[in-house]
Amino acid sequence: MAQKPNQRGATRSSVKATKRHWPKRSSFSPAQYLRAHKMTLRDSFMRLVNYPLSSVMTVMVIAIALSLPGGLYVLLKNVQSVTDQWEQQSVISLYLFAEVEDAQALALSHQISAQDNVASVEYISKEEGLRYFERSSGYEQILSSLPENPLPIVLQVIPKEAVDVASLPVLQALRDQLAAQKEVEYAELDAQWLQRLANILSFGQRFVYVLSTLLMVAVFLIVGNTIRMSVESRRDEVLVMKLVGATDAYIRRPFLYMGFWFGVLGGFFATLCILLLSWWVSAPAKRLIDSYQSDFLLQTFNADEIVLCLTISAFIGVIGAWIAVNRHIVNIELQ
Amino acid sequence: MEIEFQRVSKKYESGQEALSQVDFHLHQGEMAFLTGHSGAGKSTLMKLMMMIERQTAGQILVDGIDLRTLSRHAIPQHRRRVGVVFQNHQLLFDRSVFHNVALPLQVSGADPKQVAKRVRAALDKVGLLDKENQNPMALSGGEQQRVGIARAVVNKPQLLLADEPTGNLDPKLSAEIMNLFQEFNHVGVTVLVASHDLALVARMRHRVLTLNQGRMVNDGGFA
Repeated sequence: MAQKPNQRGATRSSVKATKRHWPKRSSFSPAQYLRAHKMTLRDSFMRLVNYPLSSVMTVMVIAIALSLPGGLYVLLKNVQSVTDQWEQQSVISLYLFAEVEDAQALALSHQISAQDNVASVEYISKEEGLRYFERSSGYEQILSSLPENPLPIVLQVIPKEAVDVASLPVLQALRDQLAAQKEVEYAELDAQWLQRLANILSFGQRFVYVLSTLLMVAVFLIVGNTIRMSVESRRDEVLVMKLVGATDAYIRRPFLYMGFWFGVLGGFFATLCILLLSWWVSAPAKRLIDSYQSDFLLQTFNADEIVLCLTISAFIGVIGAWIAVNRHIVNIELQ
Repeated sequence: MEIEFQRVSKKYESGQEALSQVDFHLHQGEMAFLTGHSGAGKSTLMKLMMMIERQTAGQILVDGIDLRTLSRHAIPQHRRRVGVVFQNHQLLFDRSVFHNVALPLQVSGADPKQVAKRVRAALDKVGLLDKENQNPMALSGGEQQRVGIARAVVNKPQLLLADEPTGNLDPKLSAEIMNLFQEFNHVGVTVLVASHDLALVARMRHRVLTLNQGRMVNDGGFA
């Protein structure tokens, strides 16, 4: 009984202490929050280091999955920069109808050469065409056996615009305009190869986009699955943390950082892989390119692209982890 | 902390009724035992108090606040005010005793210096200050249970719940554990201990609530 007042005193003071202590939210400070994040960032990295084999495997799978679209992107970038530099004088050949007379053809030739976008027009008469054909084709006998010259008058129009990937549509428009002349039977823009190249490039671009999307989805799934297994292996911890009042955000945090590390490390090794590959192919590529022209520089990832690659991979890692964690921590409750 | 159950029922989706129309009032600073056969609803009642599960009918008031009005996001705040001790300890064996006890403080974002001070105070209270660096796996059953208790009280909760805390312990250790709860009650913590050890409960001379098939069949004196 002698203890009783003492106990009462203790009761009152401890009630006060607990009341003072309870509203944690109000004692929130940004410095504390940042410190907690810094600690989690380090802890989640240490966790990867503590399970080196599985971590390295996951990071490498992500790196390979990312380096594939990255490498194709670099390849495409180089092909594009090469083709952008390839220019040549373009020619639009107008094959006139057989019944068109010389005088009429000449008039048309003058009319076309007066156009702003035309540099010059070369007039090739039927006879000139025949001679040219005989010289170059070796079909003299067959040609001389024909009753009359089968060749039409040809106007070779040289546009002012040089042909390259960018100017191709302009030249195609000019060809169409010239083809619409009533004397012209058929107009040919001598840039079929360029058209084909443009098509291949745009196909390649689409291909890279599709492949990138698929592989990024793969990275999402890899990170998600790894995080899911990690949540599963830390089930007891999550359970206890929930019981002692951890918020979902607190439980989620280490897993999100884990996803972040997977993403960043995967992106880092993917970048390394691409830089190494570019360096490896640079010598033969340079020799190949030099045989066409001299002023080409092999391009690889620049600083901006490295930062972008790391950002994207970190982002994918965090989002993948977020989805996996949210799906799983909700289900972990004391049974 | 003051707890009031008003006609609380819990029916699981399987159709089993774990609690039906349970009424009781646990006053601020009171200590009580909850007894009953296994399956009588003791654990369910504790889970409702922890908001691990929600009742299907009736009202649970905690300090006058209806738990039904609390959203999912308010649950962590609620749990920080309640300390829980389980029969199977729920300790984490991947970290030391110290870090097990520190967990409730860490999740609430406490200052590390404060954490160390409080953890040592809690371990001192359960007599395990010298074991702070050990892995809980290396401790005996009774010691593990005391680590669990230290973890439950480190946050200075206003309510202490214990679900069969002496389940695996011999009578002497069980009595020690119960005495610990009593000490916490003496400093103002509301304590509710679920136990089927009727002899032990009777010796403690506290209020006894008895559940039978989900119904409160006895509320009052000693068992």
